[in-house]
Amino acid sequence: MAARTRLPLLFSKNLPPFKNQKLAHTEAAVKEPTYPPIVPSLTAKSKSARGRQVEDHVKKICASPVDEKLSLITRIQRKKFVVYPQTFARNADRWYQHFTKTAYIPGLPERFALDPEKRTGVEKEESSLPAGAQTTVPGVEIDAFADIRSLVTRMILQEHWHMKKRKPFLYREQEQMVGPFLRNLVTGLTYSLAKYNPLLPLSSLDIDPQVNFYWRRGQRIIPKGHRRGRQEPTRFQIDDQPHSQIRITQQLPQFTSLEASYAAEVPEVAFAPNLMPLFRRQYDNNIFTGAKLPDPACYGHTQFHLVPDRYHRDRMARQQQSDQVEVFLRANGLASLFAWTGAQAMYQGFWNHEDVTRPFVSQAVITDGQFFSFFCYQLNTVALSVETDANNPRKNLLWGTESLRLYESVQDGAVVGLNDDVVKLLVQFLVNQP
Amino acid sequence: KLLDLRRLSTHGGAMASHLQARRHFAVSRCLTAKVPPERKPRERVEIPGLEMVTYGERMHYVPGLSKPVHPQWERDYKDPRHYRSPPAHEMPLYKEKPCYVYNQRTSALEGVRQALWLTKTKLICGLPPQLLSLAESPANQIPDQDERVQNAIKHARFWDTTEERPGKEKYSNTLLLNLLHLCATLQSSHPAIGRRILAEKYSLAATWKRGEDLFQIRGQNGLLQNCMDPLPEVSGKQEVGDTADHVLETFYPVSPTIDLQKVNVYKEMNCSGFRGDYPYPHAHTLYFLEGADPRCKLRPEQFRAKMFMFTFGNALVRAHNLYGPQRVLDRPVTVQAVGTNGRIFQFMVFQLNTTDLSGDDGIKNQVWLDEDVELYDFAKVRPLIKKKQVKVPAGLAGYKPETFSKFLALYLHGAV
Repeated sequence: MAARTRLPLLFSKNLPPFKNQKLAHTEAAVKEPTYPPIVPSLTAKSKSARGRQVEDHVKKICASPVDEKLSLITRIQRKKFVVYPQTFARNADRWYQHFTKTAYIPGLPERFALDPEKRTGVEKEESSLPAGAQTTVPGVEIDAFADIRSLVTRMILQEHWHMKKRKPFLYREQEQMVGPFLRNLVTGLTYSLAKYNPLLPLSSLDIDPQVNFYWRRGQRIIPKGHRRGRQEPTRFQIDDQPHSQIRITQQLPQFTSLEASYAAEVPEVAFAPNLMPLFRRQYDNNIFTGAKLPDPACYGHTQFHLVPDRYHRDRMARQQQSDQVEVFLRANGLASLFAWTGAQAMYQGFWNHEDVTRPFVSQAVITDGQFFSFFCYQLNTVALSVETDANNPRKNLLWGTESLRLYESVQDGAVVGLNDDVVKLLVQFLVNQP
Repeated sequence: KLLDLRRLSTHGGAMASHLQARRHFAVSRCLTAKVPPERKPRERVEIPGLEMVTYGERMHYVPGLSKPVHPQWERDYKDPRHYRSPPAHEMPLYKEKPCYVYNQRTSALEGVRQALWLTKTKLICGLPPQLLSLAESPANQIPDQDERVQNAIKHARFWDTTEERPGKEKYSNTLLLNLLHLCATLQSSHPAIGRRILAEKYSLAATWKRGEDLFQIRGQNGLLQNCMDPLPEVSGKQEVGDTADHVLETFYPVSPTIDLQKVNVYKEMNCSGFRGDYPYPHAHTLYFLEGADPRCKLRPEQFRAKMFMFTFGNALVRAHNLYGPQRVLDRPVTVQAVGTNGRIFQFMVFQLNTTDLSGDDGIKNQVWLDEDVELYDFAKVRPLIKKKQVKVPAGLAGYKPETFSKFLALYLHGAV
C-alpha cells in the first residue's frame, strides 16, 4: 500500500535542497521567541540556582554606581587572610607575587634610566656638556639640582646634627630620627619640584594615611564543617599605613602596554597561604586609597614607606638574615603598591568581573634613613578570582631596585658621601607626569 | 584563636586588632580589683636607756621580741632599675632662689593678661595692616583658592578615614597639614619659601628676670617653621617708642606667678633647640594644635597664653643668640604663631623690642592678636534636623574665605 511504502534513502537526501532554493536570496527571518528563555531557578536548593544567584549578583554590581559597587563588594564579612606588607615571613615576596599575580622585573623602567651615557645620547640638551660634568635629570636645570642636593644635605643635618635630641628609646629610633627627616624630605622635594611638574601643586599630600584593599584569589576545599567538601574562594585583605603619600588628580601614564605583560612570569606557590605564615581574621572589608570617593585627587603618584626598627638591616644582620632584607623591601613595595593601585582601580569602577581597561601606575620609595629602594608598579588586571582568572593572560608588573645608600655618615656637621644618583632618582620619581 | 591575636600584633607592628578584649590566662587571681591602700608600718618607739631585745641573733621570729633594725644597705654598683634620686637640696643644680617655669602643660589662670605682664608686652587687637593688605592682594593667592581650601577642609573632616568621621585630634592635624601644603605650593611663584624648613619636637629653653623673680620657658610645644632670613619688623621706631607710655595691666591680688611651676633645681639656659651652625637660625611661625597633648586640655584663653609664651620664648632665645643679654634691640625680632582646634584659628604676630624685662617701665614688646577666627561654621556628616526641619545641612557649611587669606598672609610674610 502507498502509505506503507518506505521512502527511498536517496529521496530523503534531496529534501533539504528544495527548501534552500526558495530562500536563497533572503536572510533567515529572526524568529521571535514565543517563550521566555529557560534559565535555572533562583530560589531552588540546587547548584544551578546558586549559579544563577551569583550571576544576578554580578549583574547587579555591574549596573550600580561606584560607591554602591564598593559597598556591595565589601558588604559580607567572612574569614580572610590579613596580608601585612611589612612581614617577618621568609621569602615573602614570592608568596605575595603569587597572591597578587605580579611579575617582578629587576631595575626600573626605561623612563628612570640611571645610566648617564644613555641619557646624554638621547637628550640633545645635554650634548653641549663635557663628559665629566655633573649630569642631571632631563627637564631640571643643573642649578635647581644643586639646590635640591643642598636641601637634602641640610635636612639630613637637621635631624642628625643640629637638633638637640635625646638618645632614642628602644625600637623608637626610626620614628624619632628618620620619620621627621623623611617628612621634611618629601615636603621639601615636592615644593621645589612643583614648577617642573604641574600635577604637584594640585596634588594632595597625606601624612600617615591608610590604604586598604580586599580581593579574592584561588580557592580551597573546606575541610570541616557543614560546608565540608565545597569550594571556598580565599579572601585577602591588606591594611597598610605608609609614612606619607602624594595623590594626584590625573593618572600617571603606563610604563609598558597591557599586552607586554602577557609574557611575564609569576611564581606559583603550591602551598596554602597559611603556611607562609598568614593568619585569618574576620572584620570590616575596606577598600581605601587614602581618601574617600568624593576626593578629586583619586589617582596615586608616590608613596613613601619607613622600615620599622624590627626589620632594620642591622637587626636582621644580627639574626643572620641579611639576605631577607631585600626580600622584605620587595614584599613591602609589592603589597603596598598593589593595594594602592587596586583601590584606585576600584574607585574608577573596575572590579573582579569588570577588568581594567587602562593600566594603573604608582611609585613607592622605601627607606630606613640611609638606604633607599625605589619601586614602580603597573596594575594590569584586577580579575584575580578563580572564575575570572582562568583565561586572563594579563599580569601585574613590579619594577624595583636594590637598596641604594643615600649618604655614608654624618660627621662634625657635614654629610659624608652623598650619592647623587639616589637624589636624581628621587627627583625623577617626583617629576613623573603624564 | 585568641592566642593568634597576640602573635598578630607583633606581625605588622601597629596592626593589632582591638576587636576582642585582651585575655590573660597566665594568672588565676582577680586582676581588676582595687589596689588596697598602703599599710603604714608600726611606729617604733625609742626609749632612751632601754635596750630593745630583738630576735636578730636568733635568726627567726620569736613572739614577744622586737623587730631588729638593720643599717640601710647601699648597692656598691650602679643599677639603673633601682635608682633613688637624692632629695632636692642635695642635687648639684640646687639654688636657693626659686625659678618659675612655664611648660607646655601649664594652664595660666589669667591667660593672656598674665602672659602680657610676664613678658612686658602691649596687646593690639587685630592683625597689623601690612599683613591685612598682603592678604588682600591678588598676586598672593593660590589659583582656585576657595575651592581648594574647601576640598582641604572636606578631606580633613570627612574623607580621611574608613570610618564615618575622623576624630578631633586627627582632623585638626590633617587640616593644618593640608593648609600648609596649599600655602607651600606657591613656592614656584615665591622662591623665598624654599628657604624655610619645618621642625617638630624641638625643646625650647629661655630664661629671663622680671622684677625679683626668675622665669623660664621649657618644653616641646608645636610645629616650628624656621627660615634662613629674619622676618621684617612690623612696627616702626615711632610706635616702638610710643609703647613706653603704655601701662601693663596687673591683676592684684592674684600674683603673676600663679600656675607656674616653682622649682629650686634648675639650670639657667637659653637654647633654641638647635645647636651649632644651623642654616635656618630665624624662627618664622609656630603652629599649635589644641589636641596635641591628650593629657592637657586647655581652654581658649589658656591656649592663647601658651601660644604667646612660646612665641616669646623663641624670640627671646634668638635675640640672646644674636645680640647678647639685657639690651633694647635696634632690630626687633618678629615671630608669628597660629593656633587651631580644627575649626577656630588664633593668629598672633609678636615683636620683641627689648630683652630688658626687669622693670615695669620702658619700651615694651608688642603683640598683634586676632582671636577666635572661624574657618567654617559646620562640617557635619549627617544633617542636623530639629522638629523635622533641616537646621544645618550635611557637608561643609559657612565657609569663610578671609580666614585662609590671613593664614596665607602670615605664611607669605617675609617671602613676598
